Amino acid sequence: MGGDQEKSVIEKFLEENVLFLGPDPEIMEDHSLVPASERELEALGNFDDSDKINLVRHKLQTACNESFDMVEQMGAAPGAKWGDLISGVWSMHGDLAMASMGGVLIFSVLTQHPTKFILKYWRDDPTVGLKPGDIFMHNDARYGNIHNTDQSLMIPLFHEGQLICFTGAIVHEGENGACEPGGMPSAAESPFDEGLKMSPILVGEHYEFRRDLMTFLQNSVREPKLQLEGMKSKLFAAMRMKSRIDDIITEYGVDAVIATLRKTMTDTEQETRRRLATWPDGKVRTNLFADGTLRENCLIKIRCELDKRGDELTIDFRGSSPEFLNRANNTVLASLKGMLAQEFLSFVWPDLPRNQAVFAPMKVLTDDRSTLHCSPEAPNAQSMMTFFPSFTAVQIGVPKFLYSAGHRATDIIAGWYNMIVTFIYGGVNQYGELVGNVCADLNGMGGAARWNRDGEHSIAPIFAPMADIGEQELIEEEVPIMKIVPNKLMKDANGFGKFRGGHGYQQIATMKDSSMWGFMCCSIGSKFPTTMGIFGGYAPGCYPLCKVKGVNVFEVMKDRRDLLRYTIEDIMNDQPFPGAKYTTHHMGMQLEFAQPGELFMLTQGSGGGYGDVLEREPEAVSQEYLDALISMNTVKNIYHVVLDEESGAVDLKATEKARKAERKKRIKRGKPYEEFVAQWETEHPPKNLPYYGSWKDRDLIYRGSRDDTCPADAIVPVMMPNPKDVRIAELERELEACKRAAKPRKKAAKARK
Amino acid sequence: MRRVSVDIGGTFTDCFLVYDGQYIEAKALTTHHNLASGFMEALENACAELNLSIGQVLSTVDAVRYATTLGTNALIERNGPRIGLVTTAGFESTVPLMRARGYGDGLAHAEQMDLPGADRPKPLIPMTMIVGIKERIDYKGTVNLSVEEEDVRAQVRKLVDEGCQGFVVALTNAVVNPAHEKEVERIILNEYPTYVLGATPIVLSHRVAGRKAEYSRTMSAILDAYLHDQMYHGMSSLEVALRRNGYARPMLLVHNTSGMAQLNSTHSLQTIHSGPVAGLEATNYLAEQFAEPNVIATDMGGTSFDIGLVTADGVKFYDFNPVIDRWLVSTPMTYLHTLGAGGGSIARFDGLWNAVEVGPESAGSDPGPACYGRGGKLATTTDANLVLGYLDPDNYAGGTIKINRRRAERAIEETVAKPAGLTLIEAAKAIKRKVDANMASAIFKEVAVKGYDPQHFTILSYGGGAPIHACGYAGEIGVAKILIPPFSSVFAALGAGNMNQLHIHEKSLYLMLYDATFRHVLEDYTVFNQTVEELEERGREDLVRQGVDPKDVQTRVEMDMRYGNQLAQVSVMSPSPRLSSPHDVIALLDKFSNNYAQRFGEGSQAPEAGVRINVLRVVSYVEHERLTLERSTASNDDQPKARTERPCYFPQLDDPVPTPVYDHSDVAEGMHLAGPALIETPRTTYLVEPGWNLTMGRMGSAVMVRDA
Repeated sequence: MGGDQEKSVIEKFLEENVLFLGPDPEIMEDHSLVPASERELEALGNFDDSDKINLVRHKLQTACNESFDMVEQMGAAPGAKWGDLISGVWSMHGDLAMASMGGVLIFSVLTQHPTKFILKYWRDDPTVGLKPGDIFMHNDARYGNIHNTDQSLMIPLFHEGQLICFTGAIVHEGENGACEPGGMPSAAESPFDEGLKMSPILVGEHYEFRRDLMTFLQNSVREPKLQLEGMKSKLFAAMRMKSRIDDIITEYGVDAVIATLRKTMTDTEQETRRRLATWPDGKVRTNLFADGTLRENCLIKIRCELDKRGDELTIDFRGSSPEFLNRANNTVLASLKGMLAQEFLSFVWPDLPRNQAVFAPMKVLTDDRSTLHCSPEAPNAQSMMTFFPSFTAVQIGVPKFLYSAGHRATDIIAGWYNMIVTFIYGGVNQYGELVGNVCADLNGMGGAARWNRDGEHSIAPIFAPMADIGEQELIEEEVPIMKIVPNKLMKDANGFGKFRGGHGYQQIATMKDSSMWGFMCCSIGSKFPTTMGIFGGYAPGCYPLCKVKGVNVFEVMKDRRDLLRYTIEDIMNDQPFPGAKYTTHHMGMQLEFAQPGELFMLTQGSGGGYGDVLEREPEAVSQEYLDALISMNTVKNIYHVVLDEESGAVDLKATEKARKAERKKRIKRGKPYEEFVAQWETEHPPKNLPYYGSWKDRDLIYRGSRDDTCPADAIVPVMMPNPKDVRIAELERELEACKRAAKPRKKAAKARK
Repeated sequence: MRRVSVDIGGTFTDCFLVYDGQYIEAKALTTHHNLASGFMEALENACAELNLSIGQVLSTVDAVRYATTLGTNALIERNGPRIGLVTTAGFESTVPLMRARGYGDGLAHAEQMDLPGADRPKPLIPMTMIVGIKERIDYKGTVNLSVEEEDVRAQVRKLVDEGCQGFVVALTNAVVNPAHEKEVERIILNEYPTYVLGATPIVLSHRVAGRKAEYSRTMSAILDAYLHDQMYHGMSSLEVALRRNGYARPMLLVHNTSGMAQLNSTHSLQTIHSGPVAGLEATNYLAEQFAEPNVIATDMGGTSFDIGLVTADGVKFYDFNPVIDRWLVSTPMTYLHTLGAGGGSIARFDGLWNAVEVGPESAGSDPGPACYGRGGKLATTTDANLVLGYLDPDNYAGGTIKINRRRAERAIEETVAKPAGLTLIEAAKAIKRKVDANMASAIFKEVAVKGYDPQHFTILSYGGGAPIHACGYAGEIGVAKILIPPFSSVFAALGAGNMNQLHIHEKSLYLMLYDATFRHVLEDYTVFNQTVEELEERGREDLVRQGVDPKDVQTRVEMDMRYGNQLAQVSVMSPSPRLSSPHDVIALLDKFSNNYAQRFGEGSQAPEAGVRINVLRVVSYVEHERLTLERSTASNDDQPKARTERPCYFPQLDDPVPTPVYDHSDVAEGMHLAGPALIETPRTTYLVEPGWNLTMGRMGSAVMVRDA
């Protein structure tokens, strides 16, 4: 037996003896379009009239939108109700060719992977197969999608025995049986704490779910009702879309559908390339930091370099933080790409169609086993904590290209606020049902300042236009959460600038009418801002989680209404409730059970500012002051505007003088660039800072201290100690110190005796 | 029957006069500065046809009914009073933030998608005019924090100091317990009694909308207060003008709920979009009279295309959260879908798809299509229709508007044909095909999403632009029959003349018909029955206040139901007005299941997740005498004489086709015409495309049927 023969025998043996079909890197790391097949080329040859293709595309789009409406209406998940979903058509090769016009854009680039997995592994597998009427589902983010709380469902569409496409939908369902309720467990220390782990799986045939599998899935989560309704809504929406496509085939022929799906993708990619080609070539670098893992404070570096050449853009994240093997903040590379695609689809070219081809001309570079390209062993339920800042790193870099770009589809902006500031909840509701999910008001992220005007207050999340923060009366009818303050704009919570970012709002929540109820929250940015201003605009502030324990606010309402306060600052500064405990924390709270009337308080952040604060129109400053959006301190010390405290009337001369004085101070504070660099630069990160990622050298990665490093091409994952163990050790040290201090006193006492 | 019905639209005031069996249509330009002028002129034109004076007619008619766009215009112009909002402390930012998504409400999809470019509309209430009072009622209606009089007085004074000209009081969960809103009203009235000059109107949110959801309910109340003065004065001036001319009875205003009421029983919010709703109501009636079970109403104007549905099963389609201008509200409104497609829709070449696109941008009426010669340089649907030969440059809109073919050609050449590499005619055909396809898609989605098959429907086509495009969009979705209604140019006014006096009252509740967690079917019917009774009483009071005999009041009980915690709220008409046995509950569950399956597919129902009633609704009405619209059965084999012939181009044919052009007065009842053909009326043109046949009916109506 020759060498080659021996090799092939071994390869065959290995192929036949796979332990299990885990996530396939070949699928997961490739976001390019599958090249057109002969069948597609043949269809394009037979159906090539652009106007007719446009008509068919319009019909397919209508089908996607109809299906989206169905899922939104029929689904029970809060995510479905606020539009955290997408429905679409995948090509015969698994690429997402068309998607609903509503919903979450991240999915545009992320839904191809499970479909491609089905095609690669199950289609020819005699125990699974792929035939008309089959229903596939999936939720494990390591096989695609954003995180395990998202469940996707796809059905194949055949015509005369030939696979034409897939239809389906993906929804943020929420509860998934993880170690914490609500589907996004920040306490997860391994992928096995993250609840349901559906690799792409055949859950039904003949357009019916298998009862045993449905039961298994319902049995695996805290909300069996939600699981049932979610599955049914997605299935019937996919079937409706299939039936519409069948009609199109009857009217225009099967080639029309195949050709339109393919041409939609290739035209989109070409258009993206055309637009990119109008940007100036060059590099832009940005650094951002995630300030925690949701379990502890630390600095997690996001290093980003945008390199635009011709009609391609390379986004290089090499040198970013290593992965955390027992923290849920890691990102699967595909999820990162999905989020980056969002920047281009929502914030740069919102007029482009929604499909994965938009991202095809982009190249993403990461270090293996970095937190932005984590291994399958690392949990990822809170991947937003690293891919949201990564998104922002790109967002604040892009304007530097856009300023000289030949094609602009919308306004140039600073950094949008990027964190999901809300409560995840779990427990028994007022009707005795076990529930767990997330509140919709995470959607009120502050809009970024624009090149010619202010940002809008709490307007939309970075991942979806037209998202809803809901209505408090409807929320408290379903779950035992009462928002004392549901969404009140917070004074000075703002990215200042010539044009300011949109304010964020504060919320003060409590619990009533439940025997067991817990809150969680999952945001970073309590120490280091998660988004930035540009061209001199300020970053927004940092926001803590505040709690008041040992109070029942309903008792206060009854007996001491004079103690009531309606802003976080008043409650935390005045501390009005006698005997209560007031604390502040980072916004990564694991499930914490609440007593009736205790207060949990959060602040949705602001968008970044644009331009120099000294160039802001004094009248605009005055109006914000009158609207109670900024304090007199900000008027005086940030904007250097002089106005009358009562009427808000601006003294223009005095303002001019104050601004002139401030400009002089700036000149005095300034120093030559070389001098600044010499003072600013250090060889290593600060000694006592838990720092993760590269410092000066992109290829050397710090793992939490200046003494602990690894090369970027051989990253050693980080294991964090349990914060409770850390706290116990601290207390033990304190106890030891107390004991040591007590010993001499004891000795002395003994001696006295 | 003697009845005057008027639809005061944005451009024209349409009048439909019924006088002892005679049906008269007339029009006048709307006079926005004083609605009464246009109203009286339209009426005068109608009376002139009867050789009677206005006084003679008005002193003898049974009723004057009208629909108006006054409210819509007031919103657009933002010239309402300075309103102050009193809300629950902690909720002061609810209105300014508009549920976040509010930036896009009322905008086209492309604008909604553009987050960097997103701007909220200029607020109706500035932040300085919003105050919070310390009070709280929970979801069950329990008072957690009571109202304190001094607190309310202090906050109200703040608003007055800021120049408040009207109060809106919107407190949390007021629909389940309105005590606090009423208490605030009492305190304001005590502070500023109605007899003093400084008195201001007070609108309580629970009286305007009965549904939970604080933002949309508060917006409903704000819009109501904002429009109140202007609507009241506008309507009153009309009433005065009518009285001066001998009319002694109360006027009836058309509501957007497909009913009507006197001024003293009308919220200003209920008058918004009442004209288009009257058109749909006319469709409803026509469907009944013409024995057309399923009808899609399509009304194409200069900037928009309205779609409404009438179905054989009698289901009433409401929009429970309509967007008015840019504001989401929560008062039930008869459902109409509006698409940005009309004669003024702008065509362009889309380089991305290498294809021609049309709309949603519109040239409107100013500058209007390029062929109008008013400065418009972009190609529009009307320009394409002119180039394709469907419109007569010398006889457009009865010769009232001059249009220039050369200008249309140049606009299409420059903005569409050259960039697309097409000839002029190819480009014009592509525009026609695309605008038809856009309308067809919108119709298809509207019908299909509600669970119906469009091919089982007849399309009703009215409005200035629809009869030119009807064959195009009907063909595109496989509809084989088109109906052009009688009096199509004043069709909404006709609808206004044919409505019942009607009021809708609804209330949010949380009533589990089937609790899946505890496997329990509702046994205690008290809440259901008491709520229905309460809503029936409110409806009865409304009608009795208008002089209706309580014996004549009829009611219909409807409810919104859902499985588990879904968003979908399927509207169900209750098989019985009260629940009294398990059979009633099961019958209701079955009805819901059937409605749901029709909409989403058989098997999609999920009763295992539990079934809930979220809203109970009672429609109280009194029936009025109706007009008679008879379908023509006449057949006349004579061929009308064409006035002229001109070459027309059709998207499906390569070469131009010589197309006869008829004047509508030459086509008698029962005459048949095979397409291609054009029939010109003073206000529109009927295009019978190749493959379609037209039969003329009575009163200007026509039926077009596609070749089998």
